[in-house]
Amino acid sequence: MLIAALVAFGLTSKAQNVLGGGQVSGNIQLDGQISRADSLIGSENVPEKLLMNARADILYTNGNFSAGLRFEAYQNPMLGFNAAYKGQGIANYFAAYNGEKLGITAGNFYDQFGNGMILRAYEDRYLGLDNSIRGFNVKYRPIEGITLKGVIGQQRVYWDYGQGIVRGLDGEINLNSVIKPFAESKTRITLGAGFVSKYEADETVPSSVPGYKLNIPQNVGAASVRMDLSHGGWGLQAEYARKGQDPNVLNDYIYHEGEALFLSASYSQKGFSANVQAKRVDNMGFKSVRSQSGEMLYINYIPAITKQHTYAFLTLYPYATQNTGEMGLTGDVMYKIKKGTVLGGKYGTDIHFNASWIAALDTTTIGGRGTEGYTATYFGTGDAYYADATVEVAKKFSSKHKLVATYGYVLFNPIVEGHAGDMHHNHVFIADYTWKINKKNVLRLEAELLESDSKYTPEVDDKRCGDWIMGLVEYNFTSNFFACFSDQYCYRDGNGANYPQLSVGYTHNATRLQLGYGKQREGIICIGGVCRQVPASNGLTFSLTHSF
Amino acid sequence: MKLNKVLSVVALSLISLFAACDKIESDNYLVFSGASGEWYDGNGVADKSQRAFLDKFTGIRCVNCPTADEAIHAAMEQYGDKLIAVAIHDSSTFGMPVEGFDLRTEDGNTWRNTLRGSGGLPAALVMRDGDIFTPTSGIQAKVDPILAQSPVVAISVESQLSDRTANIGINLEFLQTCNDNLNLTVFIMEDGIIGQQFQPDGSHKSDYVHNHVLRDVITDVWGAEVDADGQAGTKRFCNIKHTIEQNNWNLSNCKVVAFISNRSTKAILNVAECEL
Repeated sequence: MLIAALVAFGLTSKAQNVLGGGQVSGNIQLDGQISRADSLIGSENVPEKLLMNARADILYTNGNFSAGLRFEAYQNPMLGFNAAYKGQGIANYFAAYNGEKLGITAGNFYDQFGNGMILRAYEDRYLGLDNSIRGFNVKYRPIEGITLKGVIGQQRVYWDYGQGIVRGLDGEINLNSVIKPFAESKTRITLGAGFVSKYEADETVPSSVPGYKLNIPQNVGAASVRMDLSHGGWGLQAEYARKGQDPNVLNDYIYHEGEALFLSASYSQKGFSANVQAKRVDNMGFKSVRSQSGEMLYINYIPAITKQHTYAFLTLYPYATQNTGEMGLTGDVMYKIKKGTVLGGKYGTDIHFNASWIAALDTTTIGGRGTEGYTATYFGTGDAYYADATVEVAKKFSSKHKLVATYGYVLFNPIVEGHAGDMHHNHVFIADYTWKINKKNVLRLEAELLESDSKYTPEVDDKRCGDWIMGLVEYNFTSNFFACFSDQYCYRDGNGANYPQLSVGYTHNATRLQLGYGKQREGIICIGGVCRQVPASNGLTFSLTHSF
Repeated sequence: MKLNKVLSVVALSLISLFAACDKIESDNYLVFSGASGEWYDGNGVADKSQRAFLDKFTGIRCVNCPTADEAIHAAMEQYGDKLIAVAIHDSSTFGMPVEGFDLRTEDGNTWRNTLRGSGGLPAALVMRDGDIFTPTSGIQAKVDPILAQSPVVAISVESQLSDRTANIGINLEFLQTCNDNLNLTVFIMEDGIIGQQFQPDGSHKSDYVHNHVLRDVITDVWGAEVDADGQAGTKRFCNIKHTIEQNNWNLSNCKVVAFISNRSTKAILNVAECEL
């Protein structure tokens, strides 16, 4: 098909010889897993013994023309990835022309309008999601400073495509480019607006009233307006989106309209930066197939405002964005204590403070399926979903020694993962020490402690509960080799499990091989507020990547 | 100038896309999807009034029938929506067509044969209680006791006409326990039919306005069985889909009437009407 597209384009393009010259690039990734049963951590035997996710992205470019494909193989899907991925084949392909004013993509494409609140087609291989749209994507830049986009197509769902048709238009204007007197202004302003409509044929959705079904809107629209303003070190970003009646499985088929507001203000200067973000989301789950639960077929994306933590115990309870309704606020401040001061010392000291708070909306229930659902006050809040506060101090003592000390507090409501339970209050203490022994050898030591009021119970079987301690030793022999050993142990109020892990890695030019052996605790990983369940595993993992 | 053109194109495109959105009104979130004529649990009846139903047996050649029409019309003015009447054009001599103008129906004839007996026209029954009377007077004495009763069952009827097919929904709510076997009867009647009518002075009026004329019983003529346990508080719903094949009806003047009756005695318990 790709070749056919290439030939077709070559035959019609008079501007250049597409099949002559050009460049082929790509990357290949193979991830594999061997896991066996361990009753204490909850891992099970894998009948296939070996599970593997593999993909190869191939890209051909020739001037303004490009074409590509992705071959994917899940033989069988690794633990935690949807079994519907099982199989192999060419999952995505496209051909594109990107001229000075006009750009057209036919086939699979990824794109987003604004922050993505009404449209974001993207993929994340680690979450196992690919919401690419197969269809046409047209970008037109009539004059400098104005970009118009039009998209139409259907979204990928594993090895198939959802029956819903996504249509969208977006326009963005940079006032400084379009209005000449503003060209040199320090104040930069970009305005944008978009509209997305989904068509999905009628279907029988039973109501709670016998003999009646829901009167389903077949065309569901969502619109947004946005602004991006900056002046010197100041920045202000705002986007407001609305969605029409969209009874679907996410909202239990109610007719309440959706809306979302995202605000972000920032300031930065040398040695200091601050950022405040707020959002309010009300029934904004927007899928191209109304009956599809799970991670696939989302048309839109609600930006996450909680910090993307990296340390193990701070990511133990990640926050999953609640598309059905949430209100949140986050603040982030970074300050560098100057060199030569008492606290700054010879190299300065970095202090990073972050806090987030997310709560449910203040709602009043009207009814269930087939009704308006609920009403919500605009500024009121309900139960807290999540809160965290972290203080991180990074201090370089010499050219060879650096310590990062972190304290974090996490409040977590299990309802965001869909199950009831008491609120968890966690205190996390982290010390991360790096010793650059010489130019090629680096030793890193990490110690973490988690004090939690949560207790493991067989009924809930949340193996994250309890108090934990962790140690990690990582040694980089050269810039090519590394070895790392870590162990997480739940020493109190847990189920007594121990999670040792050993991993080694080798990198040579554009090739990287990593092997790991040990136990993986079941839990949830979230990237940008979108999450995936990770089941327990016990065994070998490997990953090979190569780019060309 | 170029910028204006671009903005115009964007605005027009957005407007056209906005039009591609469906808006469902709150009273239309649910649509009936069950089988026509089957009974389902319902949402109950908002207006739980007791109403009275009057069968008027009449005929085009009946010179006294216009007098009955006036009396019934006055009663309907008095009682408003609490009194529902139907004009059944009789198949006797007095109901025979005049110059091709014919308002008789097969269903009306069936009702007439069972309900009217052998008396003359005009004749009437209230709630099909078996007590035939001449409806030129005395209507109030019949209707008042009915409306003074506490209803055993409340009934409502709604109709949505699409092309020439009517989706007719009937809700029942039992306000008192009723152990009788009940039937639901639904029929269509038409107002404003202009045609022949003999007058009390013996003249023929060719532009007489005939109202609430029975057109067709769309259930079985004596009604369809009500599937309900009859316990107080029971709420039942039935939808009937009916395609109108007659081309000489003015559908905008038609009404749907639904009533609940005792299967054995044929006495009517309650009644409701709506526009077709």
